[in-house]
Amino acid sequence: MRAVGSSIPRFDAQDKVTGQALYPGDIHMPGQLHMKILWPDQVPARITRFDVSKALAAPGVVAVLAADDVPVNEYGLIMPDQEVLVGRVGGLVRSIIDQVALVIAESEEQAEAALDLIEIEYEPLPGVYSIEEALAPEAPLVHPEKGDSNVLLSYRIRLGDVEKAFAEADVIVERTYRTHPQEHAYLQPEAGLGFVRPDGKIEVIVGGQWMHEDREQIAHALALPEDQIVVRYPPIGGAFGGREDMSVQIVLALAAQKTGRPVKIQWSRGESIRGHHKRHAMIARAKWAAAKDGRLLAAEIDVSTDAGAYAYTSTKVLGNLTLACLGPYEIPNVKVDSRTVYTNNIAAGAFRGFGGPQGHFIAEMQMNHLAEALGMDPVELRMKNLWREGSRLATRSVLPPGVTVRETLAACARDAGWEETDAGWQRPRVEDLPAAITPVHRAFSLDAAGGRKARGIGIATSFKNVGFSLGYVDESWATVELHGAGAIERVVVHHAGADVGQGAHTVMRQFAADFIGVPLDKIELIADDTDHTLNSGSSSASRMTFMAGNAIRGAAEEALRLWREEEERPAIATYRYVPRPTTPYDPETGEADPNIAYGYCTQAAEVEVDLDTGHITVLNLWNVTDVGRAVNPAMVRGQIYGAVAQSIGWTLLEDLKYDRGQVLTDRLSTYLVPTVLDTAIHIAPDFLENPDPQGPLGARGMGEMPFIPTAPAIVAAVHDATGIWFDELPLTPERVAMRLKEVGIEDQD
Amino acid sequence: MKHDITFTINGESVHLTVLSHQTLLEVIRNDLGLTGPKYGCSTGECGACSVLLDGEVVNSCLVLAPEADGAEIMTVEGLSEDDELHPLQKSFIDHHGVQCGYCAPGMLISAKALLSRTSRPHEEEIREALVGNLCRCGAYADIIKSIQVASRARR
Repeated sequence: MRAVGSSIPRFDAQDKVTGQALYPGDIHMPGQLHMKILWPDQVPARITRFDVSKALAAPGVVAVLAADDVPVNEYGLIMPDQEVLVGRVGGLVRSIIDQVALVIAESEEQAEAALDLIEIEYEPLPGVYSIEEALAPEAPLVHPEKGDSNVLLSYRIRLGDVEKAFAEADVIVERTYRTHPQEHAYLQPEAGLGFVRPDGKIEVIVGGQWMHEDREQIAHALALPEDQIVVRYPPIGGAFGGREDMSVQIVLALAAQKTGRPVKIQWSRGESIRGHHKRHAMIARAKWAAAKDGRLLAAEIDVSTDAGAYAYTSTKVLGNLTLACLGPYEIPNVKVDSRTVYTNNIAAGAFRGFGGPQGHFIAEMQMNHLAEALGMDPVELRMKNLWREGSRLATRSVLPPGVTVRETLAACARDAGWEETDAGWQRPRVEDLPAAITPVHRAFSLDAAGGRKARGIGIATSFKNVGFSLGYVDESWATVELHGAGAIERVVVHHAGADVGQGAHTVMRQFAADFIGVPLDKIELIADDTDHTLNSGSSSASRMTFMAGNAIRGAAEEALRLWREEEERPAIATYRYVPRPTTPYDPETGEADPNIAYGYCTQAAEVEVDLDTGHITVLNLWNVTDVGRAVNPAMVRGQIYGAVAQSIGWTLLEDLKYDRGQVLTDRLSTYLVPTVLDTAIHIAPDFLENPDPQGPLGARGMGEMPFIPTAPAIVAAVHDATGIWFDELPLTPERVAMRLKEVGIEDQD
Repeated sequence: MKHDITFTINGESVHLTVLSHQTLLEVIRNDLGLTGPKYGCSTGECGACSVLLDGEVVNSCLVLAPEADGAEIMTVEGLSEDDELHPLQKSFIDHHGVQCGYCAPGMLISAKALLSRTSRPHEEEIREALVGNLCRCGAYADIIKSIQVASRARR
């Protein structure tokens, strides 16, 4: 049996169902100390008094560390614009994500108690708490050292002549869209252990997404060579982009170095919510034009995102968003202006989809509105404009081969009841859909008494890049060792890619088994330690299956050659996979070959809107993602289920609330993530397998794609049900009920 | 204030001295070294710390340790018997009821309690039983399937 294509169980499932898997918070060392972080309670503010002497004298306290204790007090994944610790007189607090000081004590209680003994006073400073405030003339600057504007980065794309096209268009749609921040809420809050090993190296055991990047940032802040730092990843309790930046990594290493003892940290849920970045809030104005026959003529978009107080990956997210806001369409005239701006909110960064969900909310909502304005079926309108093999992007480059967005739209539309007729694609009438309401939600919804309901259906499509973009030289290393005498008895694969719960390590074993031609049980994977692996890049950008598969293939082929041609055993080969190069946006025109490869996904949603309460239930969610090759079909479906749960959460439920830089929703009873009752009642997790010529055995990345079209599909379905367009997320019951009331639907019979 | 308490956990009797404010979760994880029940929120909002207390599912982060005196407790570590996996555990493995796995110890405990009450639960009963257990990976459909298959396998 071939391993690739088989839904084998995860290799780590047994440890996870028996409670034997040790996550970062489950690992202890003899003699360990406990660390607590002092968080700021005012933002923005200048620290005017800072005295740790009483805390240092408190029972059990071993060390109190602050800004002056950090050898190189800066870090950041893209640019080092954040201090590791801000605690010092004159220190600047820009956001509640800042860490002021560390208290390290014999017990957690002693560390906690000593936090209160740190004497600190703040001078409040004027702040900016929204994109609009940050861009206002004379706005206070979040980073005064960076010039006279809060704009962190801007991009532009120019193609053709949008003004001429608007003058000649039959239909123009101009709308403003807003999307909101999202919290990752991985179930395992940040935790970890740092210690000095007998060989003198500092080891940090932590959950992350890119252990070599963690190592680099720790080494930079501690002013040590990278080979003096070891990062190890045990089982990780979810990530979704939220562990791509530093949280406890640097401070654990620092504390271990300063105390010489093992140091443990466990963040609370509230610390996790304030202490790591969020999905970017976005505001966009979009003006698109079409001809009567549905051909898109022009797209003009002005979009801004809230980067929060530090860069994190905001510049990279903006790069993706700048392209995603045009959707997977051929548009002859394009003008995009995009920017990401500093505010005093929590930093924003990577979250499943990485700008794709916000960008496609713009593009697909414009298509929804255009379909209505043209009186055209939404599938038909999309089919007239979607990319084909050989299409050019607005950035003037030709799409890499394997353009299958049409195939996903056609398959999904058919699944959801659309028909392709002589007159084009035609949507199903809701009354023709099978009655899909199970008794489940009836029993639990707020309207058990039986209120008035309306049903509707909507559809949206999307693309997502696979791998790092816009000129970054992406790479992934693998080493394969073939052990044995006559035959290959044992295979050892070294690869650093993080398994954050998506199953990457199972996929790597499957690839290795097939590339080497041995059963799975002969494969041993070493993937948890920077000392025994080389850089894999991050488990992000839907890239790990694609990149690791290609890297393991290269190493396997070379190792097999050595096995055949050389005497030496084990036969060992190391391979660096580098995908085709990409290029950055031209600053004036946006010209670029932005991405290595793409995945495509279409979804249709059928919703039921309670006209009395505004509560929206997703009855059916049809998904079709082109995954190229499903290495493990059950895990592919798991990714679809998971992405859909998170995107339904973002669309309907999750509503991170700020008040002047402070988070009001810092627990799971105020920041609501979907329970088993809040995701779609029925999800059809379908996928296509049109190979990507660049992918290992044809595989495309797919982890993010099923997040992306959900919101515009649901909003279209809600419009179908109620006649109301929602151009702002989330569609919480309050917001929906208010709009229903405004338009008078609640008075109808 | 200190309390001397005795309870049974996964079939073994333990005797402990605990403080009034200590939670059952802290005692299970820190004093007994059973790290199956997870820390997720400490406020009863995520279900990762679920254990059975006298057969009922509780968030062990909301139970004070002295309250467990005399109780019979089961954690996920107690599901398998004589190294034989419980049918629920087998099913979660085979039907991909686990992604990151952090919710699994709590999910399995809630499922175990459900199957003790109802040998062949309907989907809606399964959903009701899991409503206190968050899975941020969103593996709910596979978790429901895992429980359904396990319930059919049991005789």
